Parts: sequence; C-alpha cells; structure tokens
Amino acid sequence: MSTPVPAGTLRPTRTRTVDVESGGPAEITLQDRDRTRPFLLLHGGGGPATMAGFADLLAERTHSRVLLPTHPGFAGTPKPDALTDVTALARAYVALLDQLDLQDVTLVGNSFGGWLAAEIALLGSPRVSGAVIIDGVGIEVEGHPPTDVTGLTPAQLKAHSFHDPSKAPVPPKADGNESGNDSGPSPDVRALIGYTGPTMSDPTLAGRLGDLHVPVLVLWGESDRIVTPAYGRAYAAAIPMATFTLLPRTGHLPQVETPEELLGALLDLGR
Amino acid sequence: MRTPLTVTRIAHACQLIEIGNIRILTDPWFTQTETYYPGEPLHLAADALGPIDALVVSHEHYDHCDLDALVAAGFDLATPLIGPGTVATLARGKGFRDIRAIEAWESTTVAGLTVTATPGAHGVHEVTFVIQADGRTVFFGGDSLRVPEMDAIPQRFGPIDLAILPVNGLCIRPMNLAQVVMNAEDAAALTAVLRPTLAVPHHYAFHSGRLGDRMITKGDQDPRHYADAVARIAPDIDVRLALPGVAVTVP
Repeated sequence: MSTPVPAGTLRPTRTRTVDVESGGPAEITLQDRDRTRPFLLLHGGGGPATMAGFADLLAERTHSRVLLPTHPGFAGTPKPDALTDVTALARAYVALLDQLDLQDVTLVGNSFGGWLAAEIALLGSPRVSGAVIIDGVGIEVEGHPPTDVTGLTPAQLKAHSFHDPSKAPVPPKADGNESGNDSGPSPDVRALIGYTGPTMSDPTLAGRLGDLHVPVLVLWGESDRIVTPAYGRAYAAAIPMATFTLLPRTGHLPQVETPEELLGALLDLGR
Repeated sequence: MRTPLTVTRIAHACQLIEIGNIRILTDPWFTQTETYYPGEPLHLAADALGPIDALVVSHEHYDHCDLDALVAAGFDLATPLIGPGTVATLARGKGFRDIRAIEAWESTTVAGLTVTATPGAHGVHEVTFVIQADGRTVFFGGDSLRVPEMDAIPQRFGPIDLAILPVNGLCIRPMNLAQVVMNAEDAAALTAVLRPTLAVPHHYAFHSGRLGDRMITKGDQDPRHYADAVARIAPDIDVRLALPGVAVTVP
C-alpha cells in the first residue's frame, strides 16, 4: 500500500477568480469542489479511435469525467525517446494524474491498454482506486500464447478480433471522412513495439501482478482469438483482488463490438 | 449548572468530545488511500487538534486507528491512549508511552475522566466505550455491530447524555457480504435501549472508491435512515445529523 496522504489534499477545494462579460466585465470569486470520479481510458494497438465511442457511452451513462489520451507515438503523435517501455509510459500517466489533480481514478484499458493499466496500478499512486482490464495482453501464459498479429492480413486480423467479423463496425477514417474503410481497426504495430518490444509481452508481469492491491475487474470477450479466455482467466488469477467476467458474443475489442454489454458488465458489478 | 458537553466530528468515527475542559479524541483518521476515502471533508488536520487529554481507539483498522498520521503530525505520545489489547500492542510499536489496555467492562481513569470499555463486535476484535466525567456520560459505538450485551449499559452506568453510533451496516463483499457494522435499524433499536438525551450517527460517508464500493464494501451512506428509524421506534429521543466541524452541544 502506498503512503497515505492527508484526506482531501489530492483534490483540494480551489478558490479562484473568474472574469466574465455580462453587460460589462465582472469578476466572480469561485470556490471549486470536484469529487467527480474520473475514468482514464487506455487504448490498445488500434489507437484512440478504438476507444472514442465507448468513451462517449461511458461519460453519458455514468455522468463521469472520461479522459482518453493518445499514447505518444500512436495516431501520428510524437514519441519522446524517454518513453522506452510500458513502465515508462505508465509513469508518464501517473504524472498526468498528478498534474490534473485527480483522485479515485478508475483505469480502463483494452489489449495493450490493459497491460498499461496494470503497470499504472502497480506504481501505487494514491490517485488510482481501481482498474478494468479488457482483453489485456502482456503476461506469458503457458500453452496460451497470444496470436502474433504482425503477419496477419486485415481479413485475418478481423477474424481474430471479432466474434462476428461480418458485423464488425466500420470505424471512421482518421481524416474524419465518414465513409470509412473496411479493414477495421488495425494495430499500429510500430508504435506498439516501441513500448512492448518485439515479443509484445513481459515475462515478469504475471508475477508482479501479485503486488496489485486495488480492486481489478478483468473482462474478456469469449470469442477473443488474439488472447483467449483461458489467457484472461490466468490474468485474473494473477491479481489478488480481481474478478473475471466473460462477455458473450464478443471478441478482442468489446468496447467496439459490444459496448453496451461491456458497460453493463462494468456497472452491474457488485449490485 | 451541568458541565458543558459537546461533540464535533473530525471525519468518519473520529470525534472530538469535550466535557468541560477535558478533550477526548476517538478513533483517529486523517489520511486517505486508494480504497479508503472519508467521503466528507476533514474538519481538522492531525497537527491542528490542540491539546488532547485522552485518545480512545475502538480497534486497529486503519480508518479508526491512524496512529501514523498522529505521529507524523507531532502528536504528544505521552497522551493516554485507551483501547483494547490489540490497539495497545500497535500503539506501543508507534511509540505511545501511556497506554491503557482495557477490555469489556474494564475501566481506566485519566484526571477526572473515566473510560470503560463495553462490548463490541466487528470484523476484528473491537470494543465500544462509555466515557464519563463530571456527571456526564457518553456512549461511543465505534463501528461495532449491535451485540445483546450492550443492552446492559444503562443499568450499569445510569442515564446517558450522548450516544454516538455507526449506522452504515457495512458489509464486506469478499466475505459473502458479511455484515460488520450495525445498520440504521440496529442502531435505532440500540438507541431505544440506551435512551440517550441526544443521539448522533457517524460512520456513513466513508467509501472505498468507484470499484472498491462494488468489489470490497457495501454500506448505507444515508444517515436519514437512522433518524427515520429512531423517529419510528423511539420518537421521544432527539437525533442530530451533524456535518464534520459542527459542534453539537448536548443539553
């Protein structure tokens, strides 16, 4: 457990003055208390486009603040040299939470983002209160190797990623063109390997997951053929305070394929 | 004229009880972690308490026994610390020097103040307390379950001025939702037996974080449930719902 901090200091009441225009300039002194429980959404190899729709759904239904960063190096963004691995990226995100003065943050990560969520939670920031790992990667499970996505054609990738590839949603093109393309979200392998290394796993991760002391929800598409449900069960079993939930008729990208079912699984928990 | 009696919640079950000039601090909690949030503003930081004559601690759980925060704030470790043996052991390790270990129905005195441990039950060993000075009597319920032995308190101690009771009925999800704290109905039934002049609920704003509330704990965060239950079964007893920092004076 990380060092306790004085209650209320992570997100203190801020008092500031705001200049407004209302029939002339006026200055209003404002006390700002914010106890919103934020979500930090962590996308996988397919980039932020694979999370944006779910981010809308989550924000609307839970009336929460939902933050969706683009991991540096994805979607054409620059990647600084210092971000050499997943842990370094995790540290950058803890620094982001510090800078934004957030607390009671729930991490939600899919695929590579699930691995990243685990690494962030392992850093023990008092700002992070839990994690949701959706079809995460990163651990090594005897007899259940992740599918190597680097050699797959777009059609093969789609077949591995979706329960029903014919119903796979067509994401909008990165340039905002509504007509989209039919290849589906494909991983930015170069950006991914920049963090994970060519094996796209960390042999020490499964052991380190035993140090997690926040509640973790592991959600898995039962038709995921990139990382199978058996791999997912091993993921949950490696975490002390984890529950495992299988999502029916769902593949590797639940937030894209069955977002309502994913949201339900997240919110029904513990009813 | 009766000795003035006031109680001011710092947060959660951490209460500052003042009987005349005697200042008693209960179940200290001043910090937060990933899965422990007071859920209400902290009235005073650990270094702003002023002089405390006795520290009274019901059990060793972090949210009731945040001795680290007191030590870090320079709390006077010569202050008498009163609690069950489990707390005494912990306090000794933190450097407290005047430790009074008492179990149910045992008493200790600190310059005009008598503190008697009364029965309790929780996920770990816990006692409750009857705190008496200058003809004033306070029952402090920590975050105990209601146990039948508590019903003997009025016979043993006479009229009670103030009863402070937990009301969230906290259940621990990984323990098959085992209940470890009295709920509003339990607390109201106990109130009807104790018949205090004034009853104040506490231990309801606490939460475990977004996922923690769904995976670790389940608790009732609405103290009105207690007030309503008391109004139903013991309508002549006055209940006060007080925010942290509000000094409640008992007639």
